[in-house]
Amino acid sequence: MNLKRIIVVAGELILLLLVFLVIFGPMMSLFIWSVAIRWYWPSTLPQEVGFDYWRQALGLQKSLAIGAVSIVPAFFLSLSIAIVVVCIAMLIAIPAGYALAKYRIPFAALIMFLFLMPNAFPQQPIFVNLLRIFTRVGLAGTLPGVILVHILVGMVFGVWITSATFRAIPPHLEEAARSVGAGKTRAFFRITMPLAAPGLLASAVFVFITSLDEFTGTFFIGLPWINTLPMTLYSSSGYNMQFASVIAIILLIPSILFMALIQRVLRAEYVGGMG
Amino acid sequence: MVDRLSVRRRLRLPPYLLLLFPAVTFMLLMYAYPFVSSFTRSFVGSEGNLTLQNYAKTWDLYLKDVVFTFSVTVFSTSVTAVLAVLLAMYLRFRQSVISRMLVGLYKLPIFIPFVVVAQMMNTFLAPHGLLNLALAQIGLVNIDKPLELFNFWGLSFGFVWKMVPFSVLIIHGGFQMIDNSYIEAARSAGASRAKVITRILIPMSKSSIMVALVLVYSQIVGTFTLPYMLIGGKIPTTITVDIAHRVNYFRDFGVANTLGVFSYLLVLATAIYYLRSSVKRVAEAEPSRR
Repeated sequence: MNLKRIIVVAGELILLLLVFLVIFGPMMSLFIWSVAIRWYWPSTLPQEVGFDYWRQALGLQKSLAIGAVSIVPAFFLSLSIAIVVVCIAMLIAIPAGYALAKYRIPFAALIMFLFLMPNAFPQQPIFVNLLRIFTRVGLAGTLPGVILVHILVGMVFGVWITSATFRAIPPHLEEAARSVGAGKTRAFFRITMPLAAPGLLASAVFVFITSLDEFTGTFFIGLPWINTLPMTLYSSSGYNMQFASVIAIILLIPSILFMALIQRVLRAEYVGGMG
Repeated sequence: MVDRLSVRRRLRLPPYLLLLFPAVTFMLLMYAYPFVSSFTRSFVGSEGNLTLQNYAKTWDLYLKDVVFTFSVTVFSTSVTAVLAVLLAMYLRFRQSVISRMLVGLYKLPIFIPFVVVAQMMNTFLAPHGLLNLALAQIGLVNIDKPLELFNFWGLSFGFVWKMVPFSVLIIHGGFQMIDNSYIEAARSAGASRAKVITRILIPMSKSSIMVALVLVYSQIVGTFTLPYMLIGGKIPTTITVDIAHRVNYFRDFGVANTLGVFSYLLVLATAIYYLRSSVKRVAEAEPSRR
């Protein structure tokens, strides 16, 4: 009996080690690359390490090496796009999420279909056709064009998360407020909104991160002028692994932080179709 | 007073129309219209004529890539399914310090975007990347003949790495919805643990397993970043990479859209399942309607 226990615990430890190695191996590889100044094969580890590439990427140190660009402009571009996208997407998504949660709507299934389809079908053909349409109307390769695509990618999640949030709020609370004389609007802003606030905030953060990380849509619509952080990662990936790795780590941080924060309320709606 | 009331009555559009209008309009213009055009444009030739020539070209040039995409997807989804169900089962049955540590650990990759995963795999799976170096250290690989992984296997590894955590999350959630009393009852009636798993756990959480796998499958078919950065234009590659080449090098929207139609066809069955089950689930959870 005791032997069996030891075997089980040993098995568990091996499992833990395996999961740990598989998850952190690729992340370690990124980190090593980001600090590798000289790394010639067949050395197992870089011969010279340091934060030079970090300093260059963050614009603290000038470099003349090929592809050694400061990522600061790309960072601020990505940040401003994400902020604009969150504001517009949530402004559109919150009312729609509320309507889907609280009203009996004719053809509701059809409207839900519209919001579910981006999860069910590949999105790349959509971007291809948007490029065609945007080229015709002069939006291709422009900031507004990229923002529109990011709104499309983020809003779908926004609608589903907000509608799940509103659905979870019992209607009798708002009814109680109205029965003691609060108007419809007042009941909504004093009762429903505060209760929904955490869910709405989570969905806003999610839309923000989606925009920060968005690659495929930006690749089709933004090329070659809109250099967001993921686009800079891609363009330096071939010949400047260090820079690409620095950017990858910078993009890694918000997604892991978000994961840590959202742990308790994580649902399938949040994850269907990232990347 | 009477006047105001009558004005109000006349203007009483259902409020949800106003609430839904911006989102639905946006989706119709930015999603439904491009979606429909990917079908219609696939029948339009380079001179704007109606033709099947795009399909002939796609069939000649890219059939191999369609097959490659399909096999990577099926393989990665199957491996993901097995690993995810096993891990979720372990997490469901075993309450220990180690299992609690694993619960905190396994979720980390869920929100890591594909562009970062691609860069990770680019460095990790390279001929002289960390994986080969580490395997050489323990003597499993001859470093002069490193594993070539910028192909089917590396791509599948990347997909499984990204998708298992997401699937465990959903499947483990499904397992946890099953009350312990069912399992205890079966156990006390003499069912073995294997019986409990095949007769209770898996059948009762069939829908969450299916939703996880369907989402994994359709996401892999549609993922562009990982194959583009890992395999690129090598042959064979995925449909998504071909679409990008067709658009960027040739501005050939006809063949690009035909390839798009092929990728839609690959996910047709899973898409129908996902759409039907999602609409049904939302319709069932209809508590707080006015």
